[in-house]
Amino acid sequence: MSTAADSRKQILERIRAATAGDPAHSPKGGEKGAPTASGYIRRGVMSAPARLELMAERLREYDAVVVECPPEALAGTIHEHLKASGRRTFVVPAGLPAEWLASEVVWRIDGDLPVDDIETADGVITACFCAVAESGAIVLHHGPAEGRRVISLLPDWHLCVVYGSQVVETLPEYFDRCENPPRLVTWIAGPSATADIEMTRIKGVHGPRFLNVILVRDQ
Amino acid sequence: MSAGGPPILDPALAPPFPVAALPLLRNSQLRDNVAHATDVIQAKRARVVAEKPDWQALRAAASSMKDEALEHLAAYLEQFEDRCKAAGGHVHWAADAAEARRIILGILRQEKADEVIKIKTMTSAEIQLNPFLEAAGIRPYETDLAEIILQLGNGEPSHIVAPALHVNRGQVREIFSRTMGLPGLSDQPEALTAAARQYLRKKFLTVPTAISGANFLIAETGAVVIVESEGNGRMCLTLPRTLITLAGIEKVLPRFQDLEVMLQVLARSATGERMSPYTSLWTGVTPGDGPQNFHVVLLDNQRSPILARSTDRQTLRCIRCGACMNTCPVYRQTGGHAYGSVYPGPIGAILTPQLERLRHAQSLPYASSLCGACYDVCPVKINIPEILIDLRARVTDQERKTFAKFFDPMYLGLRIANLIFSRACLFHLAQWKARIILQFFTRKDGWIHSLPGMGAKWTETRDLRGLPRQTFHQWWNDREQTTREPGAR
Repeated sequence: MSTAADSRKQILERIRAATAGDPAHSPKGGEKGAPTASGYIRRGVMSAPARLELMAERLREYDAVVVECPPEALAGTIHEHLKASGRRTFVVPAGLPAEWLASEVVWRIDGDLPVDDIETADGVITACFCAVAESGAIVLHHGPAEGRRVISLLPDWHLCVVYGSQVVETLPEYFDRCENPPRLVTWIAGPSATADIEMTRIKGVHGPRFLNVILVRDQ
Repeated sequence: MSAGGPPILDPALAPPFPVAALPLLRNSQLRDNVAHATDVIQAKRARVVAEKPDWQALRAAASSMKDEALEHLAAYLEQFEDRCKAAGGHVHWAADAAEARRIILGILRQEKADEVIKIKTMTSAEIQLNPFLEAAGIRPYETDLAEIILQLGNGEPSHIVAPALHVNRGQVREIFSRTMGLPGLSDQPEALTAAARQYLRKKFLTVPTAISGANFLIAETGAVVIVESEGNGRMCLTLPRTLITLAGIEKVLPRFQDLEVMLQVLARSATGERMSPYTSLWTGVTPGDGPQNFHVVLLDNQRSPILARSTDRQTLRCIRCGACMNTCPVYRQTGGHAYGSVYPGPIGAILTPQLERLRHAQSLPYASSLCGACYDVCPVKINIPEILIDLRARVTDQERKTFAKFFDPMYLGLRIANLIFSRACLFHLAQWKARIILQFFTRKDGWIHSLPGMGAKWTETRDLRGLPRQTFHQWWNDREQTTREPGAR
């Protein structure tokens, strides 16, 4: 039986032998930088209001509930939204701004909450790193205000606060906003869904069934 | 599910494509299900591709990124290993399927696991991991809805993105109500989906080990990327203590930023969405967030020899979107089981014979009309028809090396034709004889509708034009004589 080191060596040797005929130049990439090929659209052309409008439209196509508000009305809007949901218990990441948590509901502040406490909560509130209007995707880097991956997964109801200044038009513009490659990323494009039975799109399989977004007009 | 017994997806045991296809072609239920599903995906794909003015540039970029990764594959794999280990992951190398199974079992034994939750991974199906784990006393739970349908119904995947696309809602209802003990279950997709959610919820929360595949590995950072819809993937990537990712060596991309192209083409091609509901990226181990014990198993299993020829190498660009099968006129008729492999459709027809080093699956390169629709939709521009023709040539070369060729009517016929076509006198003699013989079978309308013996193979499925009274040669000579005017030259 071959040992683990043998297999590693054997595979790499086989690959090197098979690619030996290639022009001898060293790999170009493997470090941060623009991909070698180009010609595709990297920068968007929309005005800020049009970009927000597209973001809202895409989110609604995914059956997400979208509410817009100016920055000064954010805390009130969150409060109204929680009240309207009829839900009581909410998980929030420890880094969420304290002024967002004005409502008289039960807050479960996550540091390392046990899975059961997250699973039994009625909802979760998080911030985001970025959002991409073209595809309606919200991007989480799981920083202090976005929380651990598990908290935006187990509760059935997710409220995400997205600032207008965080919304980019194209996917490459999101990558331009990453100073360094992040360790953790979750791109969320609408609530959990499946089309495995006769290609009929069904919302809510395992992830949150309800995605709510507050778009803050800060531009 | 097929009329001809359970499908066999092991290329070493599967019957040739035409034999396997026959019962499937007679199964009108299955053909309805496949046609409906592929029509829906294709229409959705066409819509989201049409809204991208730079679609062709994205394809070109995606294709050249994969080429760059494959050209320097050894260096990028070493870089991935290095960065993944630095981030707290463990990296294993598996030369073949048996070694990959052994490594995974070893990790599970160390974890004292008797159950494991799984995200859909075609690579795990390729190495036939589930039956192996079951035999070793470890119960694998598939968590993707389509995979649950197949696992509970003892079915086999027929598509790489929607593996249960050949099963309709009534069949799913039957499987779920029988295996989950839900006699009153309705056949509404909502109810069936809710049943699957219920069935798995406790498993997600309690089983401490998970197995996943990978859509991309990032050499620059050692990160792994998985694209999914249901959230079952996120569950498996987040809740367990231990995560094992099984990935083919061709999954590596040079840079994080390469995803700006890949994520634009993958979901659009695969499910006709601008972005799949969930795309997850993680790097090794993150304290306090997700599995604290993370293993990557890099699988060769006959991929590395495919790198040697540039025509073949395109095959390894594949990002497993399934667009080629949705558009393929052959796949759309037979469904996936006829291909005798977990990789069906046009990509399967080129990938499987190469993974098998042409020892098996020799019929697959012929399971195509060479119409090129697969090439048109491929997001990484794999010239599938070119590879199919190349593989056909190699299958023929292989057959020429054996004595059996002397009993092959095709071989003998072509040898005789070769002899006749190379000598004018033999050619004229053959023409003269053929005209005499064929005139007995030519009807008044000038067509031959049926021939006896070997000739029936042709006329069974199409008519043959009767030979004209004159050959072109004779006609030309006659014309020369009647039209030549004195002094014309």
